[in-house]
Amino acid sequence: MSYKMETSNLSSNLAPIVKVENFHLHYYTRRGVYKALNGVNLEIRKGEVLGVAGESGCGKSTLGRSIMGLIPRNAAVVNGRILVDGKDYLKPLNDYYKKAKKFKPTKNADILKKVNEEMSSIRGQKISMVFQEPMTTLNPLLQVGYQIAEVLYYHNPGLLASRRLSRHRATKEDMKNIIKILKENGINEKLTDYLKSRNILGLEDQVISIWRRKDLHDLKKEQIIEKLCCEPINSFTKKYLEVIEKENKLPNFSRVPIIGRLVKRELFKEGYKKASEFLGLLGIPNADKMVYMYPHELSGGQRQRIVIAIAMINNPELVILDEPTSALDVTIQAQILELIKELKESTNSSYMFISHDLSVLAEVSDRIAIMYAGQVVEVGKKENIFDQPKHPYTQMLMEAIPTIEVHELKGIKGEVPDMRNPPKGCMFRDRCPYAMPICAEKRPDLIKVGEDHYVACFLYEGGKS
Amino acid sequence: MIIAARQLSKFFDVKGVKNAKIRAVENVNIEIKEGEIVGLVGESGSGKSTLGRLLIRLIEPTSGEILYNIPDDELDEFDIALKNNDQNAVKKIVDKYSIMRLHGKELKTFRRNVGIVFQDPYSSLDPRLKIEDIIAEPIVETGFLKGPKVKARVLELLDEVQLPREFSYRFPHELSGGQRQRVALARGIATNPKLVILDEPTSALDVSIQAEILELLKELRKKYNMAMLLITHNISVVSYMADRVFVMYAGKIMEKGNKNDIIKNPEHPYTQALISAVPQIKRVRQRIILKGDPPNLINPPKGCRFHPRCPVALPICGWTADEVKPTLEYLISSKYFTEFSNTKVEVKDELELTVYNAKADKLREIINIEKENLRPLMSIKDIIDENGNVTLKLYKYETPELIKLENGREVECLLFSKFKE
Amino acid sequence: MKEKMSKKDMTDKNEIKPDRWRELRLSLQVFFSNKAAVAGLVIFLFYFFDALILQFFPQILPFKHPYSLTPNYADPIPLPPSWKHPFGTTYPGVDLLRAVIKSIRLDFWLSLEIVIPGAIIGLIIGIIATYFGGWIDEVLMRITDIVFSIPYLVLAIAIGYVLGRTLNSMMIALILVWWPLYARYARSVTLETKELTFIEAARASGTSNFKIMFKHILPNSLPPVFVQISLDLGTIMLTISALAFIGFLPAANLPELGYLTSLGYNYIQTAPWAMIIPGLFIVLFALAVNLMGDGFRDVIDPRRRSEL
Ligand SMILES: Nc1ncnc2c1ncn2[C@@H]1O[C@H](COP(=O)(O)OP(=O)(O)O)[C@@H](O)[C@H]1O
Ligand SMILES: Nc1ncnc2c1ncn2[C@@H]1O[C@H](COP(=O)(O)OP(=O)(O)O)[C@@H](O)[C@H]1O
Ligand code: SF4
Ligand code: SF4
Ligand SMILES: [Mg+2]
Ligand SMILES: [Mg+2]
Repeated sequence: MSYKMETSNLSSNLAPIVKVENFHLHYYTRRGVYKALNGVNLEIRKGEVLGVAGESGCGKSTLGRSIMGLIPRNAAVVNGRILVDGKDYLKPLNDYYKKAKKFKPTKNADILKKVNEEMSSIRGQKISMVFQEPMTTLNPLLQVGYQIAEVLYYHNPGLLASRRLSRHRATKEDMKNIIKILKENGINEKLTDYLKSRNILGLEDQVISIWRRKDLHDLKKEQIIEKLCCEPINSFTKKYLEVIEKENKLPNFSRVPIIGRLVKRELFKEGYKKASEFLGLLGIPNADKMVYMYPHELSGGQRQRIVIAIAMINNPELVILDEPTSALDVTIQAQILELIKELKESTNSSYMFISHDLSVLAEVSDRIAIMYAGQVVEVGKKENIFDQPKHPYTQMLMEAIPTIEVHELKGIKGEVPDMRNPPKGCMFRDRCPYAMPICAEKRPDLIKVGEDHYVACFLYEGGKS
Repeated sequence: MIIAARQLSKFFDVKGVKNAKIRAVENVNIEIKEGEIVGLVGESGSGKSTLGRLLIRLIEPTSGEILYNIPDDELDEFDIALKNNDQNAVKKIVDKYSIMRLHGKELKTFRRNVGIVFQDPYSSLDPRLKIEDIIAEPIVETGFLKGPKVKARVLELLDEVQLPREFSYRFPHELSGGQRQRVALARGIATNPKLVILDEPTSALDVSIQAEILELLKELRKKYNMAMLLITHNISVVSYMADRVFVMYAGKIMEKGNKNDIIKNPEHPYTQALISAVPQIKRVRQRIILKGDPPNLINPPKGCRFHPRCPVALPICGWTADEVKPTLEYLISSKYFTEFSNTKVEVKDELELTVYNAKADKLREIINIEKENLRPLMSIKDIIDENGNVTLKLYKYETPELIKLENGREVECLLFSKFKE
Repeated sequence: MKEKMSKKDMTDKNEIKPDRWRELRLSLQVFFSNKAAVAGLVIFLFYFFDALILQFFPQILPFKHPYSLTPNYADPIPLPPSWKHPFGTTYPGVDLLRAVIKSIRLDFWLSLEIVIPGAIIGLIIGIIATYFGGWIDEVLMRITDIVFSIPYLVLAIAIGYVLGRTLNSMMIALILVWWPLYARYARSVTLETKELTFIEAARASGTSNFKIMFKHILPNSLPPVFVQISLDLGTIMLTISALAFIGFLPAANLPELGYLTSLGYNYIQTAPWAMIIPGLFIVLFALAVNLMGDGFRDVIDPRRRSEL
């Protein structure tokens, strides 16, 4: 993980990591075909927090999961595509749907398997996801340290090997130099350059995490850092760790029963270390004890932090947070929101923050997308969405949210359409006070109404705003 | 007062563990006037639902009194009698107004006068009954109406909650979440109760539906002048609905007062943090981020239950040696480790610790520097040198009680009782 | 608002019926998508119609003595299957096809007569135990455990001694042994139901405990218990047959599958069909109701109802 402040210029920040184009997804069930996503258009840019809001059942989670490729077998990719770094992983599913006369979940499942295999290389590494209920992600039978180490073990074993080897290769001299650099310059490129030149780059995150600790006296930090060197290692372990360090993947011999066990033990031991460092960075007190605990021993807020740690540990480009605070109390929610803000500052990842609560999104997002009945109906900068909401649904939603500052509340009459049989025209028509004849015939597309501000509504077609 | 509780406590047994009790509600005093909406806010697990259930006797209290329909002057008399420990006067009023003495017919009449609406509109309606039978249940069972009048009342109630009359023949699974909650509401007000407990009535609903239900609740209150206890963790909802607010934390009432006062000018440190933590579209207030989690109610913190998280805790707020020990150890082993060698901390009793191999002066100096940030250190009263070892004595803690401030606010916090003295 | 509503009313009215049909159709769909359950149902229906016809319309069938076996002492040694005797014969010269058809009647009804009263007793006790909880629960469940631990054979034999070896005494014995199973099961189901909020809502409405039990808890506990019954019918038939096999039948010549099996027992080496065929019919029934019960379980499982 890079802790350096990102200095890249703004324009490259705007390039999208994920691009969703006219994406349609249907769920086939015994009760009918639920048209969960009906032409979603959206992009997630580098380094931004994109908030996604909407009522329950409007397809927020489905969208998040589709980007991850985590969809069930009864989900048909009907149309459109999702580009992750320019690649459309779901294409085979769409091809199957287009080719098949009758959609069969079993056939879909076969293709899904292949898609999953292909995506497993980016999941947890390039993109990761945090769910509302932490217990769905955490295994109740495993220590939390193990679960974090596992992610590293499968996606980034080279890092673990390099950490261990660097501690072996580093000399007392090195440590003195490192401390000197830290004292003179703090944490910056100099340190990285030095470590690189000495072939002990695996020390970087270890040293930094110690140096960043606020609860230690500087002298104590130096003492701990000094101890990071000259760790003995047996020649056999050294051999296989060197292979792993070079390849950054689990070598074939790790499948051999006994050797595999040894490799795994060594790497997991290192994984626990990294896990406790990382939890410390996330502001968890007593992180070194916490890694040996089981999920049920933790409070809801702590569990959610662990899940966020698992999602963040490989320094992914995009983290999808699906209602990460909805099950938490306000004071704990505030802690987690604060954490996400800090992460946003200290990493250069992008975030897709899904929530049904607009005021939560207001706290963390750069841009906000409003979804209704499987479509993005409005998307724009946070300020624009809150100050000049354009879509009638967004406007009415703002009036329906109770806030601490008392204002008249207005509910939105009527209900969301039955998604098995959605109306032909605008999905919001039945509840919209401005509905026009054309709204019953065509579905509006997203059009630009201001700088970086798009709305799908016929009120704005023809340049009106 | 339509209802008042005095020294009300409810302890639940812990399954499988003898002598352990969950102190879900402890020593709570509240009162609700005719026709007012009172918001009860607090984090989950703070005992809100338990308190709501106690008030309408769905569960029996461990101790304390719940007085129904008691005139204000007699409640004052009761409070004085409690203060003076005047058993006779207490008994006289308890016999007259307590809901605990109700049986049979009287209890049914009481049930007719109170109603409840639960959070989950899916599990709170019996899936095997038609909507009309669900709404009719309290009407029939409390003897509110009989025969054909029941059906007429059910239809009237459906109108009241703005559902089509045809819904009376439907089953719950044929309705959406918002519609079900309207049915639950119709059942809650079916017998024209004087008090309705609303336990998170909109927490399971979407905002667009929530706004409509809240609107409806306001209308009903206006029309029938019912008192409502609105239990919720959503402060914005309370801010919109309530006349008065009670703030609960870890089984205790922390603050009571008028809605506007509490929201705009919270006095209690917990209320301040709670209100500042509410996510806001336009942030005006500085956020106070509380550390840690709400406490375990089996073994709650001593003194003030909020003290481990309180940003302004005083030396007497409930600190014990068990809480001071890890703080000292942390200082000794990390921040000031150069100053100590071979130093150990041991708890002697609730209010006393011994630090082995340390100097009193050094310790005093460090504690003085650090106590602003590490609140447990504030509770150290004396630092006594005993040839090489140091004995630390803590202040004796106090338990705050709900006290009334001049502005009419009631607060349970030692910051205020100190000023009063 | 009001106008909109009244418009909605009209459409709602029309929707009500199809809505309800949809749930039923869905249940059937779920059941029929489970192929094994359908096979079970088909087999079960064979047994059911066999039992129904023999009980109420025996005249349709070409049997002179529908309620007893017809021996042929002229040729008592079992004969292998042939055109004349498709299932062969068993000692003493009884045609197995006819014997099996006649036997199913007794086994089938007896199973029902044991399961249903057993289930009713069990449900009542289970519900009382759960609803009141505390020491009532404790006492009732202890009694249940004690009865549960008595081996059914011992009890059946004991009751046989006291009441005489009749079908009724066998039935009573088995009911006595069987209810604890349901009591335990009903208790676990009702315990779950009791935690649902609508029970608390009923209490808040002033409904008495007694009424809550029968109006809310019982109806909501019936479907899972019904599934359990359907799974159990097979076990009961096995038990009855086992009792008959060891000679616990009031009269010889009474057509009963276990008894038929015992007739072939002496010829197991020379004429295996004499034992295998009636045995097969016992096992087939047990298997069929089990598969069918699985199908019912799918039907009441909300997850199964919504997936494809
Ligand atoms: N696995 C599934 N099978 C069938 N329908 C599903 C499945 N998952 C979600 N749905 C349906 O798709 C719609 C969108 O769901 P979801 O994406 O979870 O919405 P949100 O997260 O916005 O609440 C809903 O109507 C839901 O019922
Ligand atoms: N029936 C019960 N048995 C045991 N513990 C209970 C019971 N009901 C509530 N509790 C406990 O009492 C505490 C307060 O719960 P509750 O009143 O539901 O809080 P809230 O409604 O504020 O979330 C919780 O710790 C909860 O686990
Ligand atoms: S397109 Fe028409 S119906 Fe849809 S939101 Fe705009 S005005 Fe309303
Ligand atoms: S009594 Fe007041 S100051 Fe003391 S801990 Fe409690 S809330 Fe904080
Ligand atoms: Mg969701
Ligand atoms: Mg609650």
